[in-house]
Amino acid sequence: MSRTVNALVLCGYGLNCDRETAYALELAGARAQRVHINSLISRDSRLSDFQIMAFVGGFSWGDDHGAGVIQAHRLKTRLGDDLIDFVTGGGLVIGICNGFQTLVNLGLLPGCDNDYRTRSVALIANDCGNFRDDWVHLRANEASPCVFTAGMTAFDLPVRHGEGKFFCETQMHARMSEKNQIVLRYADDSGQPAGGKFPDNPNGSLDDIAGICDSTGRVFGLMPHPEAFIHPTNHPAWTRQKTLAARDGRASTDTGSTITDGVRLLKNGVDYAAGM
Amino acid sequence: MAHRLEIALRSDLTDPAGETVRTRAAAYLSVHPVSVRVVHIITIDADLDEQQQAAVSDIFTNPVTQISSYLPLDIPFDWVIWVGYRPGVKDNPGDTAREAMVDSLGDAFPLDSGVYTSRRYCLRAPDMTAEQVDRIARELLANDTIEQWRIFSKQEWDDSQGIGLIIPRVKLDHEPTVTVIPVDTDEALLAVSDQRNLALNPNDVPTIREYFLRPDVRQQRQAVGLSDPTDIELEYISQARSDHCNHNTFNGLFHYRDLATGEGRTIDSLFVTCIRQPTLEQKQKKPWVVSVLWDNAGAARFDDSHNYVITGETHNSPSNMEAYGGAMTGIVGVYRDPMGTGKGARLVMGGYGFCTGHRDYAGELTPRLHPRRLLDGVIEGVRDGGNKSGIPTTFGQVYFDDGYLGKCLVFVTAIGIMPARVDGKPSEEKTTTPGELIIMCGGRVGKDGIHGVTASSEVFSETTPAGHVQIGDPYTQKKMHDFLLEARDRGMIRFITDNGGGGLSSSVGESAEFAGGCEVWLEKVPLKYEGLDQWEIWVSESQERMTVAVSPDDLDAFMALSAGHAVESTVIGKYTDSGRLHILYNGQTCAYIDLDFMKSDFPQWVFDAEWSPPAMRGLCEPVLGRPDDFNKLLSDMLARPNICSREWIVRQYDHEVQAGSVIKPLTGVGRDIPSDASVTRPVLFSDRAIAFSQALLPAYSAIDTWQMVACTIDEAVRRLIAVGAPPDEIGGVDNFCWPNIQYDPTTNPDGKYKAAQLVRACQALKETCDAFGIPLLSGKDSMYVDGHLPGSYGETHKVSAPPTMQFSATAVIPHVFRCVTMDAKAEGDLVYIVGRTADELGGSEYYDMMGHTGLNVPQLSVETVLPVYRNMFEAINREMVASVHGVYRGGLGVHLALSAMAGERGMIVDLSQVPRVERLNDAGLLFSESTGRFVVTVAPRHQEAFEALFAGEACARVGVVGRDQGDLVIIGQEGRTIISTGIDTLKKAWKQPLGGLI
Repeated sequence: MSRTVNALVLCGYGLNCDRETAYALELAGARAQRVHINSLISRDSRLSDFQIMAFVGGFSWGDDHGAGVIQAHRLKTRLGDDLIDFVTGGGLVIGICNGFQTLVNLGLLPGCDNDYRTRSVALIANDCGNFRDDWVHLRANEASPCVFTAGMTAFDLPVRHGEGKFFCETQMHARMSEKNQIVLRYADDSGQPAGGKFPDNPNGSLDDIAGICDSTGRVFGLMPHPEAFIHPTNHPAWTRQKTLAARDGRASTDTGSTITDGVRLLKNGVDYAAGM
Repeated sequence: MAHRLEIALRSDLTDPAGETVRTRAAAYLSVHPVSVRVVHIITIDADLDEQQQAAVSDIFTNPVTQISSYLPLDIPFDWVIWVGYRPGVKDNPGDTAREAMVDSLGDAFPLDSGVYTSRRYCLRAPDMTAEQVDRIARELLANDTIEQWRIFSKQEWDDSQGIGLIIPRVKLDHEPTVTVIPVDTDEALLAVSDQRNLALNPNDVPTIREYFLRPDVRQQRQAVGLSDPTDIELEYISQARSDHCNHNTFNGLFHYRDLATGEGRTIDSLFVTCIRQPTLEQKQKKPWVVSVLWDNAGAARFDDSHNYVITGETHNSPSNMEAYGGAMTGIVGVYRDPMGTGKGARLVMGGYGFCTGHRDYAGELTPRLHPRRLLDGVIEGVRDGGNKSGIPTTFGQVYFDDGYLGKCLVFVTAIGIMPARVDGKPSEEKTTTPGELIIMCGGRVGKDGIHGVTASSEVFSETTPAGHVQIGDPYTQKKMHDFLLEARDRGMIRFITDNGGGGLSSSVGESAEFAGGCEVWLEKVPLKYEGLDQWEIWVSESQERMTVAVSPDDLDAFMALSAGHAVESTVIGKYTDSGRLHILYNGQTCAYIDLDFMKSDFPQWVFDAEWSPPAMRGLCEPVLGRPDDFNKLLSDMLARPNICSREWIVRQYDHEVQAGSVIKPLTGVGRDIPSDASVTRPVLFSDRAIAFSQALLPAYSAIDTWQMVACTIDEAVRRLIAVGAPPDEIGGVDNFCWPNIQYDPTTNPDGKYKAAQLVRACQALKETCDAFGIPLLSGKDSMYVDGHLPGSYGETHKVSAPPTMQFSATAVIPHVFRCVTMDAKAEGDLVYIVGRTADELGGSEYYDMMGHTGLNVPQLSVETVLPVYRNMFEAINREMVASVHGVYRGGLGVHLALSAMAGERGMIVDLSQVPRVERLNDAGLLFSESTGRFVVTVAPRHQEAFEALFAGEACARVGVVGRDQGDLVIIGQEGRTIISTGIDTLKKAWKQPLGGLI
């Protein structure tokens, strides 16, 4: 790796995935630092010292007025253009769950043609009417410019949200799919898009959309949690896979060495930043 | 002038919240609105010019999906139901809305401006009657203890005014006053106690009076301007002496008599003899037990550099009044215990246990909340409290019995982790020293939660003050949690404890004992609104507060850190060595009590306990003939309320946040079958993990609470063993929930029997834990699980819950990759039953379905099962087994089915091979609930090693795992196939009762 990659992981105000996201980024090769939203606002920490910025999962401000709404409002009013400068200056941004919700409310996504201010897509209440924790199959769009999913086709991650239903107008959807900004889609066991079928599509997302990126591919938001698949035993099928593997003499009992898809996704971003 | 902003989803988007109301109205109340849309309302009690109004609506309106207006939104309806909070009830969305407005408007927006949220439901329901609409409001949408509502018909609705401007601001035109209470006679004092709802125990009154009449005491008090006790002093005493805080019942003197043998004995304190002594003995033997019996939670070793802490609580009374708020304050509240243990722990997981009446209860009695609504509220309260705290809820249980109609049970359990050493000193140690400052962190103090402790020490009745019902604020607490951990790691925290039951009265009172005194400046305590009396500030149980001792040298750094985390912290006094609890308000002393006074010998509570054994009570085994339709029998057993799927609850709970999930609450190919226990890695760079399980078996209490407790502990232990936990490093937490045991000929005629049940339960706890070698890391008791419910004619019936003990068990897994799950893994694997089945169906699910309670309740011999558990640990550790599943409620039939259903594989089992104690018919073998048993599947290549390991034990090969999506085939003892049903059919039956609720 040509240089150390510094990753900023937002925390505070009810965010709650900051520890594991920082740890996952370290596993992915970055030097990760948890930074409280307030020390970013007070400029005690400076975005310019980082190459990756992670908006993490949680319930910022309790998510009482729409998930990520107040976090986005706080950052917009207090950080001014720092965020946009960071993005246009080549920085990488990943928004996971509440972070994704925040990115769309900030307008950093879908970020069509360098417009990083307009709210034109939304993540709203799940059709099932409830918070839902379950693992989902994901299908990646290999034609997407997204740097985080490079070389990944189909993999599993957990979703944990009450407001993950992706929605936008038809024109915007057409524009995003044309530019391959639709990065991840909920899929069935066979790896094909879920076609809206619950629970494969856990929230009723338009076109099974689970994650999107901006037109540069450097700003990525997704509802599933890569930072929650950083150890082989996180996967719900690991005990079965282990016994079955042992039978045909594959794999040792200790599968600790293998890199998980959650870490791999983040590593793509870190490697890209290192190469910049 | 105030403003009312209405926000709603665009009409072309489905409204899931509205849909939930519509479907529940149909399912619960059989009323059928055509559609329901929800309008969110933010009412701002401040002057805003047009520009400011626009700025505010920009914050709260999503341009892509929402519409909003300061005028009533034009949404079609036949009826409107408006629901908002009562004044003084915590309005979390209102508070966060204010924060956001300050961001936009800055100083132009006065900080004290009221911001209130409410909801307007628009019902399309042309044929609905006013009475039906009122039921939807009353029984579905609003709870009058915390909420108010209004109903508008189309005709009554004014398009320009809408719901009007409703401002639930608390206005108390009241000058805080300290009242002096005369102590001339016991009667006088008791009268005041009743009138002020002090719930003083009559037996305590003479001791209290004697103290305040002592000449030396009066002299000291005179010096500070006091004479007779003040209300704040009596409140302090009442809190500290309440059964909730002082455990007077468990510390009572029990005269126990067995009416069959006539033998009797006297037990001086069940707590000392059955809990404290045994635990101290275990601590001697087990070096991994770090800290027990004194702090907010117990601590045990996780690894050389970490301890884990655990405690379990109940929140029954508040949940029974207001299910959502009560359960939420329960889970958020128990999470403060590990935060307040030692120098403070980081929360890593939680568990829950709910006991309510049956969801479809249609009897004559009218509980405060119908069990169905109550359970919905409890589930959602723990969901929001747990999820928003960022703590995984990895295990839980739900149990239905109409005995819980009087009062429901809500168990909440919390586990935290802390470094073994903080600032070079053991993290479990803490103390306060004279000169250190008393700091209150987190939420503000209001009238909410006053007398919670004393109320929970009472039987529920219409007069129970609703004031102790609250809504938790996990957002504020999460900020405080993050802040306090950073303060701990910087060595700023000398002592920390939480403000729960009793509020400052308990937290300051107890922490002052270490230093030997304290001085409190009550006027400094930040309030939600003015006008509280001094005693109210002192005992308020307003949530999300911790009390911390900080050295004056660290004060500035501590306050700066607090501000950085947007957490309010306030110096409210200092610790002294005066030997006294000294409370002042604006320089005026309003309380001055010797700390030792609480240690003075108050009269011990005394109970008569009379035990009549089950046979003597007329219990006997039912006479049941052989069923001839076992297929339907098994399907119906799987669909029983206490056995069927609870996936709809588990999915609502984030059980994977913090990324440590190893064994999830649901497992198997379909990720839908409950695991025996959960396994979580609290330290991400380590492959060690915490296994956690819980059990409760109240049905057995109908026969003998001794076996109820013994079997409950065995189940919790066996659940840990099944996932691969070492049997010799198990810690336990006991949570007793019992009806009132104080005999009274008219109000509690069977009190002596209930007392005997408690004595037997506690002795079973002691003997079983001794035999297993389990130290009780923590535990709590909650008495008075009774209620008086109105019947058909307005008469009331006392309903007492079945005596219940939830047992939680933990163990540290040395190497997570060795863990196993309960799902059958591969075709051709061999199926084994480990452990003997005996004729023990008394209290079983099978007898219950047949309408009987038998006599043969399962017996436990730890001497027999423990060696088996040690073998099982070795079998798992040597990776001989593909799956392990304990046999619990419902017996072999149910649990063989679950193992097969989880693997989505067929299974063929020959009952004649099942190890048994005596002759048993097929139904008996299938549904007996004998302890100590497992269903195990083993790959053929491990057959020899596995059988060799269990040679000499009760272990037999009973069958083989079948093909993908195959049938469960069970061959009866006469060699005929008695069950042959597809796994998918069984799963359907098991999911049918509650499956639709996902």
